[in-house]
Amino acid sequence: MVQLTWMLSFIPEWFWTFLLIGGVVAFFAARFFPQFPLKIGGIVAIVISVWFLGAASNEAKWEARVKELEEKVAAAEVVSKQENVVVQEKIVKQKEFIKGKTEYITRYIDKEIIKNEEVIKYIENCPVPQIIIDAHNAAALMNKAAEDPKK
Amino acid sequence: MKTLILGLAIILVGCSTPTPVARKFPEAVAELQEKCPTLKTIEGKDVSITDMLKTVVSNYGLYYECSNKVDGWNEWYDKQRKNFDSVK
Repeated sequence: MVQLTWMLSFIPEWFWTFLLIGGVVAFFAARFFPQFPLKIGGIVAIVISVWFLGAASNEAKWEARVKELEEKVAAAEVVSKQENVVVQEKIVKQKEFIKGKTEYITRYIDKEIIKNEEVIKYIENCPVPQIIIDAHNAAALMNKAAEDPKK
Repeated sequence: MKTLILGLAIILVGCSTPTPVARKFPEAVAELQEKCPTLKTIEGKDVSITDMLKTVVSNYGLYYECSNKVDGWNEWYDKQRKNFDSVK
């Protein structure tokens, strides 16, 4: 049916309008020319032309809907790209901020904390016991253990 | 034979009927697709507490970097979903 409609879509719309008018004329002319099968021919022409005019009208309606949707999709794609840029800028900005803040705190440790008298006196000269370091490292690598629970 | 050829031609034409409106899945932000880094461990012997503290600070930084990505994914999804649903 789709293929048939496709092939018939090559026939211009004015042809069906012309056929409808011709059908109506033939239907009424049948009274004056009873020797020709104008009545049945007119009815057939009216039915076929009304069918295809309806089909053409329906097709036009759907084409308009498709066009409207295509425009909406194109607009949504533009908005999508703009939103991507907003998210990207936010991520990059936050990443730089976190990196900067981490460096700042690390520098603060190197410059201030390490020179603090109290820290030197009570902590800095005492190395951290290996057992604490091992516990820290195990915590830092716990996701590896989750990837392979056998380890 | 002619009927068969005509019939096949009609059927094949039906195969080429395009989808009216195709939608493209939005591309995610490249920064969000980067894998979260592995946390740092403390290396060496006789490690001072300040060195340990520096590693801990660095790991906090890595955590926030990663949580930032997760928040970014959520934001990206919410926005793209709203945008996708707006087309009706």
